[in-house]
Amino acid sequence: MVVEDLKKALGPLLEDVRIQDIPEGSKRRSYQCVWVNIRKEGFLTAVRTLFRYGFPHLGILTGEDMGEDLRLVYIFKVFYEEPREEVTVVFSFHIPKLEPVVPSLTPMIPGASTNEREIREMLGVEFRGLKDKRHLFLPEDWPEGKYPWRKDETNVEDMVKRTR
Amino acid sequence: MMMTTTYTYSLPIGPIHPALKEPIRVVAEVEGERVVRADVKRGFAHRGIEFMGMKRNAIQTLYLSERICGICSISHPYAFVKAVENAIGMEAPPRAQYIRTIIAELERIHSHILWLGVIAHEMGFDPLLYWTWKGREMVMDLLEYLTGNRVNYAMYMIGGVRRDLNEKKIRAIKENMNYYRQFNQEMKDVFMSDPTYKARTRRVSLLTRKDALELCAVGPTARAAGLRMDIRQDQPYDAYADMDVRAVVPQDITGEVMGDAYDVTLVRLYEIDQSIEIIERCLEDLPPGPILAEPNLIKLLMTIKRSEGEGVGRHEAPRGEVMHYVRFDGTRDGPVAWKVKAPSYNNINIWGRVLVGAEIADIPIAVGYIDPCMCCNDRVAEVRRGGRELPYEEVRRKCREKTMRIKREVMG
Repeated sequence: MVVEDLKKALGPLLEDVRIQDIPEGSKRRSYQCVWVNIRKEGFLTAVRTLFRYGFPHLGILTGEDMGEDLRLVYIFKVFYEEPREEVTVVFSFHIPKLEPVVPSLTPMIPGASTNEREIREMLGVEFRGLKDKRHLFLPEDWPEGKYPWRKDETNVEDMVKRTR
Repeated sequence: MMMTTTYTYSLPIGPIHPALKEPIRVVAEVEGERVVRADVKRGFAHRGIEFMGMKRNAIQTLYLSERICGICSISHPYAFVKAVENAIGMEAPPRAQYIRTIIAELERIHSHILWLGVIAHEMGFDPLLYWTWKGREMVMDLLEYLTGNRVNYAMYMIGGVRRDLNEKKIRAIKENMNYYRQFNQEMKDVFMSDPTYKARTRRVSLLTRKDALELCAVGPTARAAGLRMDIRQDQPYDAYADMDVRAVVPQDITGEVMGDAYDVTLVRLYEIDQSIEIIERCLEDLPPGPILAEPNLIKLLMTIKRSEGEGVGRHEAPRGEVMHYVRFDGTRDGPVAWKVKAPSYNNINIWGRVLVGAEIADIPIAVGYIDPCMCCNDRVAEVRRGGRELPYEEVRRKCREKTMRIKREVMG
Protein backbone atom coordinates (compact mmCIF):
# COMPACT_ATOMS: atom_id res chain seq x y z
CA MET A 1 0.00 0.00 0.00
CA VAL A 2 2.77 2.43 0.96
CA VAL A 3 4.73 1.60 -2.20
CA GLU A 4 1.76 2.14 -4.55
CA ASP A 5 0.85 5.43 -2.89
CA LEU A 6 4.44 6.65 -3.08
CA LYS A 7 4.72 5.66 -6.74
CA LYS A 8 1.52 7.53 -7.56
CA ALA A 9 2.45 10.63 -5.58
CA LEU A 10 6.06 10.91 -6.72
CA GLY A 11 5.95 9.72 -10.31
CA PRO A 12 9.33 10.24 -12.00
CA LEU A 13 10.82 11.68 -8.80
CA LEU A 14 10.94 8.17 -7.39
CA GLU A 15 14.09 6.41 -8.51
CA ASP A 16 13.71 2.90 -7.14
CA VAL A 17 12.00 0.93 -4.39
CA ARG A 18 13.15 -2.20 -2.61
CA ILE A 19 11.00 -4.10 -0.15
CA GLN A 20 13.00 -6.04 2.41
CA ASP A 21 11.21 -8.84 4.23
CA ILE A 22 12.88 -9.64 7.52
CA PRO A 23 11.93 -13.00 9.06
CA GLU A 24 12.06 -13.20 12.86
CA GLY A 25 11.62 -15.83 15.55
CA SER A 26 11.38 -19.61 15.29
CA LYS A 27 8.17 -19.32 13.24
CA ARG A 28 9.91 -16.91 10.86
CA ARG A 29 7.10 -14.37 10.76
CA SER A 30 8.37 -11.38 8.86
CA TYR A 31 8.05 -7.61 8.89
CA GLN A 32 8.74 -5.15 6.11
CA CYS A 33 11.28 -2.46 5.56
CA VAL A 34 10.76 -0.31 2.45
CA TRP A 35 13.85 1.35 0.98
CA VAL A 36 12.97 4.25 -1.30
CA ASN A 37 15.49 6.20 -3.35
CA ILE A 38 14.04 9.52 -4.44
CA ARG A 39 15.16 12.75 -6.04
CA LYS A 40 15.56 15.67 -3.68
CA GLU A 41 12.66 17.60 -5.25
CA GLY A 42 10.24 14.88 -4.20
CA PHE A 43 11.21 14.77 -0.55
CA LEU A 44 8.38 16.86 0.95
CA THR A 45 5.77 15.12 -1.23
CA ALA A 46 7.09 11.77 -0.03
CA VAL A 47 6.79 12.74 3.63
CA ARG A 48 3.33 14.22 3.06
CA THR A 49 2.26 10.90 1.57
CA LEU A 50 3.18 9.18 4.84
CA PHE A 51 0.85 11.54 6.73
CA ARG A 52 -2.08 9.72 5.08
CA TYR A 53 -1.56 6.81 7.47
CA GLY A 54 -1.44 8.91 10.63
CA PHE A 55 1.40 10.82 12.18
CA PRO A 56 4.65 9.22 10.97
CA HIS A 57 7.33 8.64 13.57
CA LEU A 58 10.73 10.00 12.57
CA GLY A 59 13.27 7.46 13.72
CA ILE A 60 16.60 8.54 12.32
CA LEU A 61 17.85 11.36 10.17
CA THR A 62 21.39 10.74 9.07
CA GLY A 63 23.69 11.67 6.26
CA GLU A 64 26.91 10.71 4.64
CA ASP A 65 29.60 12.38 2.59
CA MET A 66 29.73 10.47 -0.68
CA GLY A 67 32.57 12.49 -2.20
CA GLU A 68 30.80 14.37 -4.97
CA ASP A 69 27.64 14.99 -3.04
CA LEU A 70 25.91 14.34 0.28
CA ARG A 71 23.42 11.56 0.86
CA LEU A 72 20.63 12.03 3.37
CA VAL A 73 18.73 9.14 4.92
CA TYR A 74 15.37 9.62 6.67
CA ILE A 75 13.92 6.62 8.48
CA PHE A 76 10.22 6.75 9.29
CA LYS A 77 7.80 4.28 10.74
CA VAL A 78 4.13 4.14 9.90
CA PHE A 79 1.18 2.01 11.09
CA TYR A 80 2.58 1.77 14.59
CA GLU A 81 0.23 1.20 17.57
CA GLU A 82 -1.09 -1.84 15.64
CA PRO A 83 0.35 -5.25 16.50
CA ARG A 84 2.64 -6.56 13.70
CA GLU A 85 1.45 -3.89 11.27
CA GLU A 86 4.30 -1.42 11.47
CA VAL A 87 6.33 -0.69 8.33
CA THR A 88 9.71 1.01 8.28
CA VAL A 89 10.09 3.45 5.40
CA VAL A 90 13.55 4.72 4.49
CA PHE A 91 13.91 7.70 2.14
CA SER A 92 17.32 8.47 0.76
CA PHE A 93 18.44 11.11 -1.72
CA HIS A 94 21.51 12.99 -2.82
CA ILE A 95 22.07 16.73 -2.56
CA PRO A 96 24.96 18.63 -4.17
CA LYS A 97 27.79 19.68 -1.89
CA LEU A 98 27.91 23.17 -3.39
CA GLU A 99 24.31 23.83 -2.44
CA PRO A 100 23.47 21.52 0.47
CA VAL A 101 19.95 22.79 1.12
CA VAL A 102 16.85 20.75 1.97
CA PRO A 103 13.46 21.85 3.28
CA SER A 104 13.05 21.51 7.02
CA LEU A 105 10.52 19.05 8.44
CA THR A 106 9.91 21.11 11.57
CA PRO A 107 6.63 22.72 10.38
CA MET A 108 5.19 19.21 10.07
CA ILE A 109 7.14 17.37 12.79
CA PRO A 110 8.40 19.80 15.48
CA GLY A 111 10.50 17.05 17.07
CA ALA A 112 12.64 16.87 13.92
CA SER A 113 14.41 20.03 15.09
CA THR A 114 16.86 17.98 17.20
CA ASN A 115 17.77 15.71 14.29
CA GLU A 116 18.15 18.60 11.86
CA ARG A 117 20.34 20.59 14.25
CA GLU A 118 22.63 17.58 14.59
CA ILE A 119 22.98 16.98 10.85
CA ARG A 120 23.42 20.70 10.29
CA GLU A 121 26.46 20.90 12.59
CA MET A 122 27.92 17.49 11.71
CA LEU A 123 27.50 17.50 7.95
CA GLY A 124 26.92 21.14 7.05
CA VAL A 125 23.47 20.67 5.54
CA GLU A 126 21.29 23.76 5.57
CA PHE A 127 17.64 23.14 6.48
CA ARG A 128 15.38 25.74 4.95
CA GLY A 129 12.81 26.80 7.55
CA LEU A 130 14.65 25.49 10.61
CA LYS A 131 14.22 28.14 13.32
CA ASP A 132 16.62 26.91 15.99
CA LYS A 133 20.07 27.03 14.42
CA ARG A 134 22.19 26.69 17.56
CA HIS A 135 24.66 23.86 17.99
CA LEU A 136 23.22 20.68 19.47
CA PHE A 137 26.16 18.54 20.57
CA LEU A 138 29.15 20.66 19.55
CA PRO A 139 30.25 23.52 21.80
CA GLU A 140 29.02 27.04 21.03
CA ASP A 141 32.52 28.23 20.06
CA TRP A 142 32.99 25.51 17.44
CA PRO A 143 34.88 26.99 14.44
CA GLU A 144 32.74 27.80 11.41
CA GLY A 145 33.05 25.72 8.30
CA LYS A 146 34.24 22.60 10.13
CA TYR A 147 32.06 19.51 9.82
CA PRO A 148 33.09 16.29 11.63
CA TRP A 149 31.32 13.94 9.22
CA ARG A 150 32.67 15.47 6.01
CA LYS A 151 35.40 13.59 4.20
CA ASP A 152 36.89 16.58 2.34
CA GLU A 153 39.02 19.54 3.46
CA THR A 154 36.25 20.80 5.79
CA ASN A 155 36.53 17.77 8.09
CA VAL A 156 38.19 17.67 11.50
CA GLU A 157 41.30 15.54 10.82
CA ASP A 158 43.52 18.51 11.77
CA MET A 159 41.67 18.90 15.08
CA VAL A 160 42.04 15.28 16.21
CA LYS A 161 44.56 14.75 18.98
CA ARG A 162 46.39 11.49 18.37
CA THR A 163 47.59 9.45 21.31
CA ARG A 164 49.87 6.48 21.16
CA MET B 1 -1.06 52.84 43.67
CA MET B 2 2.22 50.99 43.59
CA MET B 3 3.46 49.65 40.31
CA THR B 4 4.68 46.12 40.36
CA THR B 5 7.14 44.79 37.86
CA THR B 6 7.45 41.10 37.14
CA TYR B 7 10.96 39.84 36.92
CA THR B 8 11.85 36.56 35.37
CA TYR B 9 15.01 34.85 36.48
CA SER B 10 17.07 32.45 34.55
CA LEU B 11 17.78 29.36 36.62
CA PRO B 12 20.51 27.13 35.24
CA ILE B 13 20.37 23.50 36.33
CA GLY B 14 23.40 21.52 35.31
CA PRO B 15 25.64 20.47 33.70
CA ILE B 16 26.62 19.41 37.21
CA HIS B 17 23.76 19.44 39.67
CA PRO B 18 22.57 17.20 42.52
CA ALA B 19 19.28 16.57 40.72
CA LEU B 20 20.99 15.29 37.61
CA LYS B 21 22.92 12.09 37.38
CA GLU B 22 24.58 12.96 34.11
CA PRO B 23 25.78 16.20 32.54
CA ILE B 24 23.14 18.22 30.72
CA ARG B 25 22.04 21.80 31.21
CA VAL B 26 18.46 22.89 31.64
CA VAL B 27 17.99 26.64 31.74
CA ALA B 28 14.63 27.42 33.25
CA GLU B 29 13.19 30.91 33.00
CA VAL B 30 11.26 31.35 36.24
CA GLU B 31 8.67 33.84 37.34
CA GLY B 32 8.32 33.41 41.07
CA GLU B 33 8.07 29.66 41.52
CA ARG B 34 6.67 28.98 38.04
CA VAL B 35 8.72 28.00 35.07
CA VAL B 36 7.71 30.06 32.06
CA ARG B 37 10.26 28.81 29.56
CA ALA B 38 12.84 26.06 29.49
CA ASP B 39 15.77 25.39 27.25
CA VAL B 40 18.14 22.44 27.08
CA LYS B 41 21.79 22.33 26.12
CA ARG B 42 23.12 18.87 25.48
CA GLY B 43 26.42 17.55 24.28
CA PHE B 44 28.53 17.86 27.43
CA ALA B 45 29.70 14.31 26.96
CA HIS B 46 29.62 13.95 23.20
CA ARG B 47 32.43 11.53 22.49
CA GLY B 48 32.04 11.16 18.75
CA ILE B 49 31.45 7.44 19.15
CA GLU B 50 29.95 7.09 15.65
CA PHE B 51 33.08 8.71 14.21
CA MET B 52 35.21 6.15 16.08
CA GLY B 53 33.02 3.27 14.95
CA MET B 54 33.45 4.18 11.29
CA LYS B 55 37.19 3.58 11.71
CA ARG B 56 36.94 0.13 13.32
CA ASN B 57 35.80 -3.28 12.13
CA ALA B 58 32.27 -4.48 12.80
CA ILE B 59 33.10 -6.64 15.82
CA GLN B 60 35.13 -3.88 17.47
CA THR B 61 32.27 -1.49 16.76
CA LEU B 62 29.88 -3.93 18.45
CA TYR B 63 31.86 -3.71 21.69
CA LEU B 64 32.16 0.04 21.28
CA SER B 65 28.37 0.28 20.95
CA GLU B 66 28.05 -1.56 24.25
CA ARG B 67 29.93 1.29 25.91
CA ILE B 68 27.55 4.00 24.74
CA CYS B 69 25.44 3.49 27.83
CA GLY B 70 26.21 1.84 31.15
CA ILE B 71 22.63 1.17 32.19
CA CYS B 72 21.20 -0.22 28.98
CA SER B 73 24.38 -1.87 27.85
CA ILE B 74 22.47 -4.52 25.95
CA SER B 75 20.19 -2.19 24.00
CA HIS B 76 22.81 -0.65 21.75
CA PRO B 77 24.52 -3.96 20.86
CA TYR B 78 21.05 -5.42 20.26
CA ALA B 79 20.11 -2.75 17.74
CA PHE B 80 23.59 -2.90 16.22
CA VAL B 81 23.61 -6.67 15.64
CA LYS B 82 20.10 -6.46 14.17
CA ALA B 83 21.21 -3.68 11.82
CA VAL B 84 24.29 -5.61 10.68
CA GLU B 85 22.31 -8.84 10.23
CA ASN B 86 19.72 -6.99 8.15
CA ALA B 87 22.44 -5.38 6.06
CA ILE B 88 24.35 -8.59 5.27
CA GLY B 89 21.31 -10.88 5.17
CA MET B 90 22.26 -13.08 8.12
CA GLU B 91 19.86 -14.70 10.55
CA ALA B 92 20.62 -15.74 14.12
CA PRO B 93 19.66 -19.31 15.10
CA PRO B 94 16.36 -19.56 17.07
CA ARG B 95 18.08 -20.48 20.34
CA ALA B 96 20.27 -17.38 20.12
CA GLN B 97 17.21 -15.23 19.42
CA TYR B 98 15.55 -16.52 22.58
CA ILE B 99 18.64 -15.96 24.70
CA ARG B 100 18.89 -12.40 23.38
CA THR B 101 15.31 -11.71 24.38
CA ILE B 102 15.85 -13.14 27.87
CA ILE B 103 18.91 -10.95 28.49
CA ALA B 104 17.15 -7.87 27.10
CA GLU B 105 14.17 -8.40 29.41
CA LEU B 106 16.40 -8.95 32.45
CA GLU B 107 17.94 -5.62 31.61
CA ARG B 108 14.53 -4.00 31.45
CA ILE B 109 13.78 -5.25 34.97
CA HIS B 110 16.95 -3.76 36.44
CA SER B 111 16.63 -0.52 34.48
CA HIS B 112 13.02 0.08 35.53
CA ILE B 113 13.83 -0.60 39.18
CA LEU B 114 16.74 1.80 38.87
CA TRP B 115 14.39 4.49 37.57
CA LEU B 116 11.86 3.89 40.35
CA GLY B 117 14.67 4.44 42.85
CA VAL B 118 15.95 7.54 41.09
CA ILE B 119 12.54 9.19 40.93
CA ALA B 120 12.02 8.49 44.64
CA HIS B 121 15.39 10.10 45.30
CA GLU B 122 14.50 13.15 43.18
CA MET B 123 11.55 13.86 45.42
CA GLY B 124 13.61 13.35 48.56
CA PHE B 125 12.18 9.95 49.44
CA ASP B 126 15.52 8.27 50.04
CA PRO B 127 14.44 5.18 52.04
CA LEU B 128 12.48 4.13 48.96
CA LEU B 129 15.62 4.56 46.84
CA TYR B 130 17.61 2.26 49.13
CA TRP B 131 14.88 -0.34 49.26
CA THR B 132 14.28 -0.49 45.50
CA TRP B 133 17.99 -0.60 44.72
CA LYS B 134 18.46 -3.38 47.25
CA GLY B 135 15.88 -5.35 45.28
CA ARG B 136 17.69 -4.55 42.05
CA GLU B 137 20.86 -6.29 43.22
CA MET B 138 19.32 -9.74 42.64
CA VAL B 139 18.93 -9.24 38.90
CA MET B 140 22.38 -7.66 38.68
CA ASP B 141 23.84 -10.75 40.33
CA LEU B 142 21.87 -12.96 37.97
CA LEU B 143 23.19 -11.05 34.96
CA GLU B 144 26.70 -11.45 36.31
CA TYR B 145 26.12 -15.19 36.70
CA LEU B 146 24.74 -15.53 33.16
CA THR B 147 27.13 -13.27 31.30
CA GLY B 148 30.14 -12.75 33.55
CA ASN B 149 29.58 -9.07 34.21
CA ARG B 150 27.20 -6.72 35.98
CA VAL B 151 27.33 -4.19 33.14
CA ASN B 152 28.72 -4.43 29.60
CA TYR B 153 27.76 -8.06 29.25
CA ALA B 154 29.52 -8.77 25.93
CA MET B 155 26.82 -11.34 25.27
CA TYR B 156 25.70 -10.53 21.74
CA MET B 157 27.52 -11.31 18.52
CA ILE B 158 26.59 -10.64 14.92
CA GLY B 159 24.58 -13.75 14.04
CA GLY B 160 23.87 -14.99 17.57
CA VAL B 161 25.07 -14.86 21.15
CA ARG B 162 28.38 -15.78 22.73
CA ARG B 163 27.27 -17.82 25.74
CA ASP B 164 24.69 -20.56 26.07
CA LEU B 165 22.25 -21.17 28.91
CA ASN B 166 22.56 -24.52 30.72
CA GLU B 167 20.14 -26.20 33.13
CA LYS B 168 21.72 -24.58 36.17
CA LYS B 169 21.44 -21.11 34.69
CA ILE B 170 17.84 -21.68 33.63
CA ARG B 171 17.01 -22.75 37.19
CA ALA B 172 18.67 -19.59 38.54
CA ILE B 173 16.58 -17.40 36.22
CA LYS B 174 13.38 -19.18 37.29
CA GLU B 175 14.13 -18.69 40.98
CA ASN B 176 14.94 -15.06 40.33
CA MET B 177 11.65 -14.52 38.52
CA ASN B 178 9.74 -15.88 41.51
CA TYR B 179 11.55 -13.36 43.69
CA TYR B 180 10.74 -10.47 41.33
CA ARG B 181 7.08 -11.41 41.03
CA GLN B 182 6.79 -10.91 44.76
CA PHE B 183 9.10 -7.90 44.91
CA ASN B 184 7.22 -6.11 42.15
CA GLN B 185 3.95 -6.69 44.01
CA GLU B 186 5.51 -5.03 47.05
CA MET B 187 6.79 -2.16 44.91
CA LYS B 188 3.33 -1.66 43.41
CA ASP B 189 1.83 -1.55 46.89
CA VAL B 190 4.33 1.08 48.01
CA PHE B 191 4.31 3.31 44.94
CA MET B 192 0.58 3.18 44.32
CA SER B 193 -0.62 3.54 47.88
CA ASP B 194 1.83 6.12 49.18
CA PRO B 195 0.07 9.51 49.43
CA THR B 196 3.34 11.49 49.25
CA TYR B 197 4.34 9.77 46.05
CA LYS B 198 0.97 10.42 44.49
CA ALA B 199 0.96 14.05 45.61
CA ARG B 200 4.37 14.70 44.11
CA THR B 201 3.75 12.98 40.77
CA ARG B 202 0.05 13.39 39.88
CA ARG B 203 -0.37 16.20 37.32
CA VAL B 204 3.39 16.81 37.26
CA SER B 205 5.02 17.06 33.84
CA LEU B 206 1.86 16.47 31.86
CA LEU B 207 2.40 15.21 28.34
CA THR B 208 -0.50 15.03 25.92
CA ARG B 209 -0.82 12.44 23.19
CA LYS B 210 -0.48 15.18 20.55
CA ASP B 211 2.76 16.50 22.07
CA ALA B 212 4.16 12.99 22.36
CA LEU B 213 3.53 12.42 18.64
CA GLU B 214 4.82 15.80 17.51
CA LEU B 215 7.97 15.68 19.61
CA CYS B 216 8.71 12.09 18.54
CA ALA B 217 8.56 10.72 22.11
CA VAL B 218 9.28 7.02 22.48
CA GLY B 219 9.07 4.24 25.04
CA PRO B 220 7.40 4.50 28.44
CA THR B 221 7.23 8.30 28.02
CA ALA B 222 5.06 7.94 24.91
CA ARG B 223 3.08 5.07 26.42
CA ALA B 224 2.30 7.14 29.54
CA ALA B 225 0.75 9.70 27.19
CA GLY B 226 -1.56 6.96 25.91
CA LEU B 227 0.29 6.00 22.72
CA ARG B 228 0.28 2.24 22.19
CA MET B 229 3.77 2.33 20.79
CA ASP B 230 6.13 -0.54 21.49
CA ILE B 231 8.42 -2.14 18.93
CA ARG B 232 7.96 -5.51 20.64
CA GLN B 233 4.31 -5.21 19.65
CA ASP B 234 4.42 -3.21 16.41
CA GLN B 235 7.29 -4.90 14.64
CA PRO B 236 8.25 -7.91 16.79
CA TYR B 237 11.72 -9.30 16.37
CA ASP B 238 13.57 -12.33 17.75
CA ALA B 239 11.58 -14.27 20.35
CA TYR B 240 9.01 -11.45 20.62
CA ALA B 241 7.85 -12.48 17.12
CA ASP B 242 6.68 -15.83 18.56
CA MET B 243 4.57 -14.28 21.29
CA ASP B 244 2.00 -11.53 21.43
CA VAL B 245 3.43 -8.70 23.46
CA ARG B 246 1.06 -5.79 24.02
CA ALA B 247 2.08 -2.24 24.88
CA VAL B 248 1.44 -1.33 28.52
CA VAL B 249 -0.57 1.90 28.61
CA PRO B 250 -2.21 3.69 31.55
CA GLN B 251 -5.72 3.47 30.03
CA ASP B 252 -5.53 -0.32 30.47
CA ILE B 253 -4.41 -0.02 34.09
CA THR B 254 -6.46 2.80 35.59
CA GLY B 255 -8.90 3.48 32.78
CA GLU B 256 -7.71 7.03 32.09
CA VAL B 257 -4.69 8.74 30.63
CA MET B 258 -3.15 11.72 32.37
CA GLY B 259 0.31 11.50 30.83
CA ASP B 260 1.97 12.59 34.07
CA ALA B 261 4.81 11.26 36.18
CA TYR B 262 2.40 8.97 38.05
CA ASP B 263 1.26 7.32 34.81
CA VAL B 264 4.83 6.72 33.73
CA THR B 265 5.45 5.03 37.09
CA LEU B 266 2.49 2.74 36.49
CA VAL B 267 3.72 1.90 33.00
CA ARG B 268 7.15 0.98 34.30
CA LEU B 269 5.80 -1.08 37.23
CA TYR B 270 3.51 -3.10 34.96
CA GLU B 271 6.25 -3.56 32.40
CA ILE B 272 8.33 -5.37 35.01
CA ASP B 273 5.47 -7.90 35.32
CA GLN B 274 5.37 -8.17 31.54
CA SER B 275 9.12 -8.81 31.40
CA ILE B 276 8.81 -11.62 33.95
CA GLU B 277 6.10 -13.21 31.80
CA ILE B 278 8.18 -12.89 28.63
CA ILE B 279 11.26 -14.42 30.27
CA GLU B 280 9.27 -17.38 31.64
CA ARG B 281 7.65 -17.93 28.24
CA CYS B 282 11.10 -17.84 26.57
CA LEU B 283 12.47 -20.40 29.03
CA GLU B 284 9.50 -22.69 28.39
CA ASP B 285 9.88 -22.57 24.60
CA LEU B 286 13.68 -22.31 24.45
CA PRO B 287 14.55 -24.15 21.22
CA PRO B 288 17.63 -26.39 21.04
CA GLY B 289 20.39 -25.87 18.52
CA PRO B 290 23.46 -23.75 17.85
CA ILE B 291 23.88 -20.24 19.23
CA LEU B 292 25.92 -18.69 16.43
CA ALA B 293 25.22 -18.53 12.71
CA GLU B 294 28.92 -18.13 11.97
CA PRO B 295 31.23 -19.25 14.82
CA ASN B 296 34.39 -18.38 12.89
CA LEU B 297 34.83 -14.66 13.44
CA ILE B 298 37.47 -14.23 10.71
CA LYS B 299 35.01 -15.71 8.25
CA LEU B 300 32.29 -13.41 9.62
CA LEU B 301 34.46 -10.36 9.08
CA MET B 302 35.26 -11.53 5.53
CA THR B 303 31.53 -11.91 4.82
CA ILE B 304 31.00 -8.37 6.05
CA LYS B 305 33.89 -7.12 3.95
CA ARG B 306 32.37 -8.62 0.83
CA SER B 307 28.86 -7.34 1.59
CA GLU B 308 27.38 -4.24 0.20
CA GLY B 309 24.19 -2.90 1.68
CA GLU B 310 22.48 -1.04 4.44
CA GLY B 311 20.35 -2.05 7.36
CA VAL B 312 18.20 -0.67 10.13
CA GLY B 313 18.18 -2.36 13.52
CA ARG B 314 15.72 -1.54 16.27
CA HIS B 315 15.18 -2.60 19.81
CA GLU B 316 12.68 -1.52 22.44
CA ALA B 317 15.12 -0.56 25.19
CA PRO B 318 13.88 0.12 28.73
CA ARG B 319 13.70 3.84 27.86
CA GLY B 320 12.24 3.42 24.39
CA GLU B 321 13.25 2.83 20.84
CA VAL B 322 16.95 2.39 20.08
CA MET B 323 17.66 2.56 16.38
CA HIS B 324 20.90 1.91 14.53
CA TYR B 325 21.60 2.45 10.85
CA VAL B 326 24.65 0.89 9.19
CA ARG B 327 25.95 0.79 5.64
CA PHE B 328 28.69 -1.46 4.26
CA ASP B 329 30.30 -0.62 0.94
CA GLY B 330 32.12 -3.88 0.18
CA THR B 331 35.60 -2.47 0.75
CA ARG B 332 36.12 -2.63 4.51
CA ASP B 333 35.06 -4.97 7.30
CA GLY B 334 33.39 -2.24 9.32
CA PRO B 335 30.54 0.14 8.69
CA VAL B 336 31.22 3.13 6.42
CA ALA B 337 28.18 4.82 7.90
CA TRP B 338 26.87 4.26 11.38
CA LYS B 339 24.17 6.27 13.10
CA VAL B 340 22.93 5.66 16.59
CA LYS B 341 19.69 7.02 17.95
CA ALA B 342 19.12 6.51 21.64
CA PRO B 343 15.67 6.97 23.20
CA SER B 344 16.69 10.00 25.28
CA TYR B 345 17.68 11.78 22.06
CA ASN B 346 13.96 12.01 21.31
CA ASN B 347 12.61 12.14 24.81
CA ILE B 348 14.65 15.19 25.87
CA ASN B 349 12.59 17.09 23.26
CA ILE B 350 9.62 17.02 25.63
CA TRP B 351 11.35 18.93 28.44
CA GLY B 352 10.71 22.26 26.73
CA ARG B 353 6.96 21.50 26.85
CA VAL B 354 6.45 19.70 30.16
CA LEU B 355 8.53 22.13 32.20
CA VAL B 356 6.38 25.13 31.28
CA GLY B 357 4.02 25.79 34.17
CA ALA B 358 5.87 23.47 36.52
CA GLU B 359 7.12 24.58 39.92
CA ILE B 360 10.84 24.75 40.62
CA ALA B 361 10.55 21.80 43.00
CA ASP B 362 9.04 19.73 40.21
CA ILE B 363 11.92 20.28 37.80
CA PRO B 364 13.90 17.22 39.01
CA ILE B 365 10.81 15.05 38.60
CA ALA B 366 10.00 16.42 35.15
CA VAL B 367 13.62 15.91 34.16
CA GLY B 368 13.83 12.45 35.70
CA TYR B 369 10.45 11.48 34.23
CA ILE B 370 11.87 10.33 30.91
CA ASP B 371 14.71 8.48 32.65
CA PRO B 372 17.33 10.51 30.82
CA CYS B 373 20.45 8.68 29.80
CA MET B 374 22.90 11.18 28.42
CA CYS B 375 25.91 10.00 26.55
CA CYS B 376 27.40 13.38 26.84
CA ASN B 377 31.09 15.17 28.09
CA ASP B 378 31.79 18.03 30.26
CA ARG B 379 32.76 21.64 29.79
CA VAL B 380 32.57 24.65 32.07
CA ALA B 381 29.27 26.40 32.61
CA GLU B 382 29.68 30.11 32.22
CA VAL B 383 27.97 32.34 34.77
CA ARG B 384 27.67 35.92 33.60
CA ARG B 385 27.46 38.73 36.13
CA GLY B 386 24.42 40.99 36.03
CA GLY B 387 20.78 40.84 36.94
CA ARG B 388 19.42 41.66 40.36
CA GLU B 389 20.81 40.11 43.50
CA LEU B 390 18.41 39.44 46.33
CA PRO B 391 19.71 40.11 49.85
CA TYR B 392 19.80 37.06 52.09
CA GLU B 393 17.28 38.53 54.55
CA GLU B 394 14.73 39.10 51.81
CA VAL B 395 15.07 35.55 50.52
CA ARG B 396 14.59 34.22 54.05
CA ARG B 397 11.52 36.39 54.59
CA LYS B 398 10.00 35.18 51.30
CA CYS B 399 10.66 31.57 52.22
CA ARG B 400 8.97 31.99 55.59
CA GLU B 401 5.99 33.68 53.97
CA LYS B 402 5.58 30.85 51.55
CA THR B 403 5.84 28.18 54.24
CA MET B 404 3.21 29.97 56.29
CA ARG B 405 0.93 30.33 53.27
CA ILE B 406 1.18 26.66 52.40
CA LYS B 407 0.61 25.71 56.02
CA ARG B 408 -2.57 27.79 56.06
CA GLU B 409 -3.71 26.23 52.77
CA VAL B 410 -3.04 22.70 53.93
CA MET B 411 -4.36 23.05 57.47
CA GLY B 412 -7.38 24.97 56.19
